[in-house]
Amino acid sequence: MSLLNVENLRVRFPTDHGEVEVVKGLSFSLGRERLGIVGESGSGKSMTGRALMGLINRPGKVSADRLEFDGIDLRNLPERAFRRLRGARMSMVMQDPKFSLNPVIRIGEQIGEALQFHRRMPARARRQAVLDVLEAVRINDPERVYRLYPHEVSGGMGQRVMIAMMVVLEPDLMIADEPTSALDVSVRATVLEILDDLVRRRGMGLLLISHDLDMVARWCDRILVMYAGRVVEECAAGKLHEATHPYTRGLLASVPRLNETRHRLPVLDRAMIGAGT
Amino acid sequence: MTMHILSRDWLLSEDPETRMQARLGQFYRLARALMRNPLAMVGLAIIVMLLLVAALAPWLAPYSPLEGNLQNRLQPPSAAHWMGTDELGRDIMSRVIFGARITLFIVLLVAVIAAPLGLMIGAVSGYFGGWVDRVLMSVTDIFLSMPRLILALAFVAALGPGIENAVIAIAITTWPVYARIARAETLTFRTAEFIAAAQMQGASHARIIARHVVPLCLSSTIVRVTLDMAGIILTAAGLGFLGLGAQPPLPEWGAMISRGRAFILDQWWVATMPGFAIVIVSLGFCLFGDGLRDVLDPKGRSKS
Amino acid sequence: MIDIQNLTVTYGGTPVVQGVSFQVGAGESFALVGESGSGKSTILKAIAGQAPHWTGVIAIGGQPLQRRRDAAFLRRVQMVFQDPYGSLHPRRTVDDTLSEPLVIHRLKDRDARVLAMLDAVGLSRRFRFRLPHQLSGGQRQRVAIARALMLEPEVLLLDEPTSALDVSVQAEILNLLADLRAERKLTYLMVTHDLPIVSFLCDRLGVLRLGRLEETAEAASLRRAQLSSAYGQELVARSGAEG
Repeated sequence: MSLLNVENLRVRFPTDHGEVEVVKGLSFSLGRERLGIVGESGSGKSMTGRALMGLINRPGKVSADRLEFDGIDLRNLPERAFRRLRGARMSMVMQDPKFSLNPVIRIGEQIGEALQFHRRMPARARRQAVLDVLEAVRINDPERVYRLYPHEVSGGMGQRVMIAMMVVLEPDLMIADEPTSALDVSVRATVLEILDDLVRRRGMGLLLISHDLDMVARWCDRILVMYAGRVVEECAAGKLHEATHPYTRGLLASVPRLNETRHRLPVLDRAMIGAGT
Repeated sequence: MTMHILSRDWLLSEDPETRMQARLGQFYRLARALMRNPLAMVGLAIIVMLLLVAALAPWLAPYSPLEGNLQNRLQPPSAAHWMGTDELGRDIMSRVIFGARITLFIVLLVAVIAAPLGLMIGAVSGYFGGWVDRVLMSVTDIFLSMPRLILALAFVAALGPGIENAVIAIAITTWPVYARIARAETLTFRTAEFIAAAQMQGASHARIIARHVVPLCLSSTIVRVTLDMAGIILTAAGLGFLGLGAQPPLPEWGAMISRGRAFILDQWWVATMPGFAIVIVSLGFCLFGDGLRDVLDPKGRSKS
Repeated sequence: MIDIQNLTVTYGGTPVVQGVSFQVGAGESFALVGESGSGKSTILKAIAGQAPHWTGVIAIGGQPLQRRRDAAFLRRVQMVFQDPYGSLHPRRTVDDTLSEPLVIHRLKDRDARVLAMLDAVGLSRRFRFRLPHQLSGGQRQRVAIARALMLEPEVLLLDEPTSALDVSVQAEILNLLADLRAERKLTYLMVTHDLPIVSFLCDRLGVLRLGRLEETAEAASLRRAQLSSAYGQELVARSGAEG
C-alpha cells in the first residue's frame, strides 16, 4: 500500500525574469520503504519535500495530477487540515537544528508542544512520552537534556532532538532534508543510524533528500536522481553502479576514492546532460 | 548603446559590465521593491511634499509669515485665509508653510550629527570588543539613560534658547540608540569569515570598519533614523512648546501650538493647524521608514 | 617551506594544539586530517596569525614568525576559507573583493590583474560585477581562491575547501586546486576530514587527535589504507564505512 503517490508534480515561482519552474513534472510512489532523492542545489529536491508538506506559500505555486498521502488528496488541502497532518502523520527533519529548534524554549517543552497540539494528554504522561522518545534517539541522560536549551547541546544531539520531535507522534512518513549536512562528519553516521533504526522499527516511510550520492546509496532502498527539476534516474540502491544516465554516471565518477590515482577528476558536462533531458 | 542604458533589462541584468551598472541595478531593485508597498509610497509622497513646501515656501505662501494685520486677528479659516489667522493677525497657512523649513532644518541637522556619530561608535565598539567595547558602551549607556527632553532643557538652559542649541541638545540624546543598533548589527557578523579574510589581505582595522563593517550596518541605521524622525520632530515641537527652541517670531510648529493653547476652545485653528502638520509629517516618516525596513532586510546574509 | 616545531596553541587557558611538529617542503601538498576538535583548523589559524596565544616555532621559508603578521608575510602566505557563503562580503562585488588586496598593497594594473585571475580560476568575465548572492557555491569558492591568489603567494592554507560544496561541484574545485598548484608551483597546507581528497590532492598527511600529531605518512600509504597508527587506521575504516 503506497503512503505517497505523486504524479506530475510541478512547482513554480515568479521571478524578475518571468515564471520559473523548479520542479518539472516529478512522479514517484513511496511505500513503507526508504527512498532517497539525490540532486545538487537547484535541482528541485528540497522544493519537492516542501511541496509534500504543504510548506510552499504564495507566490510559489504547486500543481500535480496526483498528490496523495495515504489516500488524502494534498492538492489544495486547507492549511488547517495540513496542520493536523504535519507532525502527526507526516513530519520533516531539516538541515540545521540551530535554525529549526526554538532557541528560547527548553527542549523538553518543545517536544511536548507537538504532543499537546495533536493529542490531549495529562502533563505527567506527556513528560514521560518525551523522555521515552529522547531515549529512543539514544540520548543517554534524557532527564538532563529535557531541561536544556537548544544552544546548550552539540549539533549532533540537536539533530537527534529534532528527530525525536518529529517521531514522537509516530507519523507514517518522515521526510529528511539534508539531515546531516550541517553536522560534523564524525557524528553523521550516528545520526543516520538512529534515523534508520527508528524508521525500520516503526515501519515508517522515509524520504531522504541529499546531495550526497554515497550517503543516499548506503541508507536507502531506492534512489531517485534529480537534475534541473526532473528525475533523470531511478534505481535500487544496490544497482547504483549500473546507472545509465550521464548525470548519475558523472556524479559517481567525480567523487574521489581512498585509493585515488587519477590526476584529474572527471567533471560533469552539464551541456551534454542538459541536452539529454 | 545609449538607447538601452537605464532600460529595465539593463538594470536587472544578471551580468553587469561596469561598477556603475551593478550599483544602479542594486538601487533599482530596491526601489522597485519599495514601490510595491502602497503605504510606503504614501509616506514618501508626504516627505516629498514636505521638501517641496520647504523649498518653494516663498512662492507658495500667500502672505508673509511674520507680519500680521491686527485688525484681522483670530479669524477662522476662510477663502482669504485657508487656515485662519493667529493672535497677531498673521496668516497661519503661511506660517505653517515656512515652519516646514524650520522643521526640516532641525530634523536633517539632528540626523546628520547623531547618526554618523552613533554609527561610528557602535561599529568600533562591536568590532574591537574587549575594553574598547566596555568603555564606549558605558559612555553610550550614560547618554541613553538621560531623558531626552530634560537633557535638552538642561542644555538649552545652559546655552540659551534657540534653534541651534535645540538641535545640539536633541542630537546628543539621539546618537546612543544608533550606537547600540550599529553595535548589535556588527556583533552578528564579527566572527564571519569575510572579516578574517579581509584581515588576511592585510586590511587595517580602520579599513575593515569603514569598508566592511559600516556598509552592513547602514541599512538598519537608515531605517532607524527614518523612524526616529517623527520622534525628533515631536521633541523639537516639545522644546518649541516650552519656549526653548525656535524663538518668536519664527513660525516653528511647536511654538505655534504653544501660543495657540490659550485660544484652543474658541479659536481651535490656531493650535490645531500646526498640530495637523506635525502629525502628517511624522506619519509620513513612519510609513516610509517601515517600508524601508521591509525592503532593506538583508537577504544577502541568509543561505540560499 | 613550512616548518612547525613544538607548536602549542591555547584558547582561554585550554591547550587545543599540543606540541605539534611537522615540515612541508616547497611545492609540496600536505594535509592535516582528524575529527572536529582535533586542532587541525587551529594550526592553520595560528600560522595565519589569527590565534593569539601560541608557543613554539612557526617558520615560513626559513623565517620564523612573530606575534604579528606583516605585509611581507601576507604576500607569501594566503588562506582559502571553508565557507563560500561566509567568506565573501555580501555587499561587495566580485571585482571589489578581488581588487581589495591590490589596493591595500598598492599594486598597479588592477583591471588587468583582476581579469587575469578570473580567467585563471575559470570564472567567466561576465561575473565580474556580481554580488555573492548571485553566484553559486562553486563560483563563490572560486572567487575565494582567486582572492587568495591575488597577491601571488607561495603558500596556500586551505581550510576544508570543498566540504561546504555540493558533491557535484567538488570535483571542479579539486581539479582547479590541482591545476593551480602545478602552474604556480604552490605549497599547500590543507585541513580536511575527507580522506579521499587527501589521496587526490596531497603528497603527505598528518593525523591529528585531540591536539596531538599521531603520525605523518605518505599519501601512498593512505591509498593502500596502511597508516601506521591505530587511530589513523580507525579514520580510514570510518571513511570507507561512510562511503
